[in-house]
Amino acid sequence: MSAMWGCRSSNAGSSLYFMAMTVLDVRWWHSFRDIDDILVALVDLSPHAEREGAALRWLDSGEQIRWRRYAYKGPRRRFLLCRAALRVMLCEHLACGNEQLSFTASRYGKPLAQVDNLPAPVSFNVSHSGRHGLIGIARAGRLGVDIEERDSTRDLNLLIDSVLNEREKAELNSRKGLEKTYLFFKLWTLKEALLKGVGKGFHLDATGIAIPVPVLRGEKKSILQLPESPGASWHVEDLGNEDFAAAIAYEEVDSPVEKD
Amino acid sequence: MASTEDRVRKLVAENLEVDGKPLDASLDLNSSLSDVGVSSMDIVAFGKLVGQEFGVTISREQCPTLNSLQELIDFLDSQAA
Repeated sequence: MSAMWGCRSSNAGSSLYFMAMTVLDVRWWHSFRDIDDILVALVDLSPHAEREGAALRWLDSGEQIRWRRYAYKGPRRRFLLCRAALRVMLCEHLACGNEQLSFTASRYGKPLAQVDNLPAPVSFNVSHSGRHGLIGIARAGRLGVDIEERDSTRDLNLLIDSVLNEREKAELNSRKGLEKTYLFFKLWTLKEALLKGVGKGFHLDATGIAIPVPVLRGEKKSILQLPESPGASWHVEDLGNEDFAAAIAYEEVDSPVEKD
Repeated sequence: MASTEDRVRKLVAENLEVDGKPLDASLDLNSSLSDVGVSSMDIVAFGKLVGQEFGVTISREQCPTLNSLQELIDFLDSQAA
């Protein structure tokens, strides 16, 4: 596992880990990017009966009930494959058994991990869109991820005023066609990753976040401060490629952690 | 005149989809859109459409209290009262 993830856990080779691996011998995710001390995995959410069968066995009873309640196949499959991948990754990271792992949520709905019903020393975030899922896991510090399949037919006018400031709108309006679509989705994913990282999602004002000009003009990463998170420095990085837009936001580990 | 519920259901049917298919007209009003599988991008756009249709602004402070379509309908009715 250490080779696969560049993992830092000294317990990574524990018997619990090997127990987990004997249960699950099929994987639908892979390491996508190593950023500082953060694991970023890309999850394949394509329909796949064998994977879905293996994934279902990793869900606890509450998650299986939630899985059954989805009325539509796509969201049901995305939840199943992402949650099972997250469980395996967290078990490996925390060197715990699947039955020891559970989830709770902050008052804003951000999922939090527990081992034996105690808060686990890990930070994580999950996003999915269409056939792609993205999971970020860090030992410390808040983080958020977002992934979006780009839809060039989407009416951006319904979204622009809700997420972009005047500077960003001007930059967007200077682009046309596919270039405009790419920039919009880049800005959206950067901002949603930040909002999820802070832990309050769209309860915060996305227009109040100013993406640095070099990033608007093509740079992939930057560091910024947020009005909602005083004293913390946030790293943002565009992880998009030609298949999807994606981003990660994570705070400096020596930044003061805001409790919610 | 159509009820608030009818207008909201029409907006949902005409503007929201999951996996490329319009949301079922019989959608349970006690469901949250995210639990049904609607993307965050579609939810933000839908909030804008609701605002335009009903002439209201849904503030960020109000958003956390609107967890389901029924709560949205109740909010819109309270704004019209």
